[in-house]
Amino acid sequence: MSFLKSFPPPSPEDGLRQQQPDTEAVLDGKGLGTGTLYIAESRLSWLDGSGIGFSLDYPTISLHAVSRDLNAYPQEHLYVMVNARFGEEEPKELKETPVAEGEEDEDSDEDIEPIAEFRFVPSDKSALEALFAAMCECQALHPDPEDEDSDDYDGEEYDVEAHEQGQGDIPTFYTYEEGLSHLTAEGQATLERLEGMLAQSVSSQYNMAGVRTEDSIRDYEDGMEIDTTPTVAGQFEDADVDH
Amino acid sequence: MEVSHSVKERTIAENSLVILLQGLRGLVTTVDLRDETVARGRVDNVDAFMNIRLAEVTYTDRQGQQVQLDDLFVTGRNVRYVHIPDDVDITTTIEQQLQAIHRVRNFGSEGKGRREFPTRKYK
Repeated sequence: MSFLKSFPPPSPEDGLRQQQPDTEAVLDGKGLGTGTLYIAESRLSWLDGSGIGFSLDYPTISLHAVSRDLNAYPQEHLYVMVNARFGEEEPKELKETPVAEGEEDEDSDEDIEPIAEFRFVPSDKSALEALFAAMCECQALHPDPEDEDSDDYDGEEYDVEAHEQGQGDIPTFYTYEEGLSHLTAEGQATLERLEGMLAQSVSSQYNMAGVRTEDSIRDYEDGMEIDTTPTVAGQFEDADVDH
Repeated sequence: MEVSHSVKERTIAENSLVILLQGLRGLVTTVDLRDETVARGRVDNVDAFMNIRLAEVTYTDRQGQQVQLDDLFVTGRNVRYVHIPDDVDITTTIEQQLQAIHRVRNFGSEGKGRREFPTRKYK
C-alpha cells in the first residue's frame, strides 16, 4: 500500500492518550498487518512492527464506533470511517480534488464523496471501550473549521467569560465535581495533599479569618477552594482566640 | 442533568438549537447522516459542536444493510437530521436545559456574589 510510510510513534508530548499493541489494521476489507494503534490528541496513528504505518487527521474522520456484531464482521473491533481516499500516492481529501464549475460547496459533491473504512482489531477486546472513549475526546478537540454558526462565539467580539461574569461571579470557578474531573492524576494527588495539610495545619480551637480548622473544613467544604494554609506552619498557634 | 464543563460550549449551546439535542440524552433517536446512512440508538451525549455519541446502535449503510454497533460517535459535520421523538415536548426540553446551564453558572452566588465563608448549609 503506497500510503504507508515510516515515522516515529507519537509520544506523550504529542498528546498521546491511548496506545494499543497487537492490533490489526484493516482498510476497506484488506488487512494491513498487526501493529500498534496510537490515539493522540493531534492525530490517530498505526504502526506495524517495522515502524511503517499511517496517520489519520481527526477532521477527516466522519465517525467511529465499537462493533461487536459478529454477523457483520467476525471480530470485535474499532470502526473508523474516514472522509478521504487511500491506496493512492497520498490520501486525497475531497477539498483537494478539483471541482468542476469552481464550486466550493462540498455538500453538492456528496455523490462522489470518498469514504475509507478502517477497522482496528485489538487482540485485547476489553480495550475497545477505552479506545472509543479516547477517540471521542480527541475528536472533540477538533471542531469543524467550516462550521459558521459556532464562529460567532470566538474571538474578541464575544468575550464569553466577560459575558458570563456579568451574570454572577462564579464562572471561573468549578464546582467540586466539575473541577475534580478536570484535574490530572497529579493534580488530584496535589489536591489530596493540600487538603490533608489543611486538616492538620491548625488545631481545632482556632477559627480565625483566613484559617480553616478541622471542624470548619467539614462545615464549609463546598469545593470553593480558597488557599488558606498559613505560609508558616503554626503561624497562628500563639494567637489568643476564643470566639 | 449534565452540562458541559466548558464555558464556551455552554454559551454556544445556550444560543443555538444544539441545546434541544442535548436534552435528548438517554432517549432513543434516529440520526440521518450526511452520507445517506442512518444511525438509530440511545443518545449518550451531544456536545456544542453537534458531535453525537449514541449507544446500542442500529446503523444502516448506504446499501440498506444494517449492523449493530455498541457505541457510535458521529462528528457534527456529518449530521444531517436528528429525529426528535414524538413524545418529546420541545419547548419544555429546551427550558430544562437552559435551567441546568443557569444553575451551573450561578452556583453558590444566589445573586449576592461570592462569599468567602459560606454558611453551614452549603455542602
